[in-house]
Amino acid sequence: MKAKKTFYSERIYPLLFMLIVTVFCILLTSGLHLSTLQRAQANELSFTRRAVLQAGGVDFENTRAGIEKAFLENITLEDGFYTFLGPEGKRYIISVIGPGLWGPIEIMVGLQEDLTTFSGLAIVSQNETPGLGARIEEQWFTNQFMGKKAPFILVEEGTARAENEIDSITGATRTTEYFRNLVNRAASDAQIIIRGE
Amino acid sequence: MTKNQVRKTLMEPLGKNNPVFVQILGICSTLAVTNKLQNTLVMTLGVMFTAALSSWTISLLRNHIPSRIRMMVETMVIATYVIIVDIVLKAFYPEMWKQLGPYVGLIITNCIIMGRIEAFALQNKPTLSLIDGLASGLGYAYVLLAIAFIRELLGMGSIWGFRVLGSWWTNWSIMIMPPGGFFVLAIFIWVIRETIMKEAKNV
Repeated sequence: MKAKKTFYSERIYPLLFMLIVTVFCILLTSGLHLSTLQRAQANELSFTRRAVLQAGGVDFENTRAGIEKAFLENITLEDGFYTFLGPEGKRYIISVIGPGLWGPIEIMVGLQEDLTTFSGLAIVSQNETPGLGARIEEQWFTNQFMGKKAPFILVEEGTARAENEIDSITGATRTTEYFRNLVNRAASDAQIIIRGE
Repeated sequence: MTKNQVRKTLMEPLGKNNPVFVQILGICSTLAVTNKLQNTLVMTLGVMFTAALSSWTISLLRNHIPSRIRMMVETMVIATYVIIVDIVLKAFYPEMWKQLGPYVGLIITNCIIMGRIEAFALQNKPTLSLIDGLASGLGYAYVLLAIAFIRELLGMGSIWGFRVLGSWWTNWSIMIMPPGGFFVLAIFIWVIRETIMKEAKNV
C-alpha cells in the first residue's frame, strides 16, 4: 500500500498519530498509578513502621495488620524521633541516612535510655551488591547490634565478643566500614536530636 | 495462519533462533539480575509480558503507523507496558519491587523486545506476533533461569533462597558480581554451540 505523498500524510498525520498514542499511553499509566497510589503509600508506611518496630525491639506479627496494630499500640512519634515505653524502660528510635559503598543507606536505630546501648537496628533501604554488601540486611548481622554499645569497632566475621565489637561481613569489607560509620554517627546524632546537646 | 506457522513461530526462539545464545540480545539484563533465581523469575516474567503485548499492540497498529516515526511509537508502547509492570509490582509485591529496584524500568531498553517488534510484529498478524513475543520471552527466560541457577548455587550455596550446600561450601563471591554473569553466559553459549547446535552450523 503505497500512499501518495501529501503535506498531510508527510507532516500532519505522523504528528497527530504520535499525539494520540502519547495521550493514550499517559492516560493509561497515570490512571493505573493513581488507582494504586493508596496501596503503594500504605506499603511504604508499613515498611517504615516495621523498621521502627524492629529497631525498638517490639514483638509484632509480620503482616500489614500486625505491623499497624503493634505500631499504634506501642510507638509514640515525637519531634523527629520515635519512643517506645517497654518493660525494660524507655527506648528512642531515630532514622539515619548516610553513604554506603554504592548508594545511600537508610537505617532505623533503637537506643536505650543511655543513648549508647542499642536495642535494635533495621535497614530501611540500601543499594549494596546483592549477595555481598546487601548481606547487611541479613538477620544475624542486624541482630548482633542488640544490647551492644556505640561506638563500634569491626572485627573478623564470627569473632565479635566485647560489647563494642561487631562482626564484619567477609567479602563486603567496604560496605561494613561504611555501615559502621553510619551506625556510630547514629549514636552521636541521637544525642543532638533527643537531648538537644 | 496455519498450524505449521504457529508451531514454527513458537519453537524457533526456544531453540535454533534463541534471542540470548544465538542472537546475543538482551545481555545487559542477563548480567544484572541473574544472581538470584527469584529476581530472575520476576524479571523474565516482566519481559515475557512486555514482549508479547507490545508485539501484539504494534502489530495491530502496523498498517497505520507512519514508518518514519515507528520507533517512537514502539518505544512509547513498550514503556507503557513496562510501567504497568512496575506499578503492579510496587502495589502488590512491594518486597520484590524493592529488591529489583531499577531493573524493572530497564526492561524498556531490552533489545529483544524492540528487536522482535522490528523484525516480526511489523510484518505479521497480531495473534502470530503475540505468540512470537511470548516465545522470545520464554526463550530468554529459560536461559536466564539456567544461568541464575548456576550463579546462585555457586555464589551463595543456595537455590531459591534455601541453602542447599552445607557449611563446608565457600561462596564464590565472583559469581554474584557482574563478572560472574559474563563467565557463566560465555561458557553457556560455548557449550550450547559446540554440542547441540553443531549440526545446525554445518548445514
